[in-house]
Amino acid sequence: MNVIFTVVFIASMITIAVVSPDKLLSSLLGGAESSVKMALTLFCIYAVWMGLSKLAEKSGLSKYIARGLKPVTKRIFRTDDETANEQLAMNISCNLLGLGGAATPYAVKAVEELDKQSNDFAQKLLFVINATSIQILPTTVIALRAGAGSLSPSDIFLPSLICTAISTLTAVGLYLIGRKIWR
Amino acid sequence: MALIIPVIFIFVFLFAVIKKVSVYDCFTEGISEAVKFTVSLLPCLAAIFMMCALFEASGLSDMLTDFLSPAFGFLGIPKELTKLVLIKPFSGSGSLAYLNEIISTYGADSYIARCACVCFGSSETVFYISAVYFAGLKVKKLAMPIICVLTATLISTVAACLICRIL
Repeated sequence: MNVIFTVVFIASMITIAVVSPDKLLSSLLGGAESSVKMALTLFCIYAVWMGLSKLAEKSGLSKYIARGLKPVTKRIFRTDDETANEQLAMNISCNLLGLGGAATPYAVKAVEELDKQSNDFAQKLLFVINATSIQILPTTVIALRAGAGSLSPSDIFLPSLICTAISTLTAVGLYLIGRKIWR
Repeated sequence: MALIIPVIFIFVFLFAVIKKVSVYDCFTEGISEAVKFTVSLLPCLAAIFMMCALFEASGLSDMLTDFLSPAFGFLGIPKELTKLVLIKPFSGSGSLAYLNEIISTYGADSYIARCACVCFGSSETVFYISAVYFAGLKVKKLAMPIICVLTATLISTVAACLICRIL
């Protein structure tokens, strides 16, 4: 991230200095402004889902879900930790349901939990899985198409499912291979 | 399918009531965590958005789009989608706006729009996720996982364009 950020930033600054130097500051400020707007949008999403997930956590509901999924999460992420497994299970279930907003906070907590055990493998695997999208029902896109007057808004369901599967499986495969090579 | 979300909410609330959780206090506690979480994200968001704005304003993003279009075309990705594919890893809202534009320009049921929808739905904001997940942690060597994810995303994009021709 550090390298990409630095390279893109410097390259853009140099280009902008040559083409239109007066735009540099205004685009930086514009970027900062849209990040605040984005943070507000995200806060709304997280407020709803983290409120709900706190209820699920306190009432013991997420423990039940985690217990059900434990054989799976334990195997995939190679961790025995109770808390980490619970967060992982909730992250995966939210993702599958297409509740991306709810999945992110769980993932962040899981990554922090795994960090305590310095389980580097699981942290990055979780990132790989989340970053390739594993949602079964692309709710946002279907809603968008319906809004635009599509005749059958949900006919992208099957292609999306296939592509999601392809991307996640490929990424996990590459990650496992990459780990072998670089160690 | 529209019922999924109401059902989840009602179920969780009822379950909490049955388990005698003080719903209001608990819900508020969750939101206060959301406040902290959002604030902790803000530095990453600001930096990434500044980078994107700069990249866009400098014209480099257009140059990159023009430069990569032929290569993408070779892989079977229509040139109308190049920008969407390039923006998606960085910005969810940016690519959503662009997806909207594609849908209204080409019509919701056109090949381009369907392709764009599938690409959008089956990929994620890779750089944003990596920034959020690993903010404040000392996890090193993230390049390898990121490359894996980007390669896989490209492969699934190619697959999306192929599958949309058939299905």
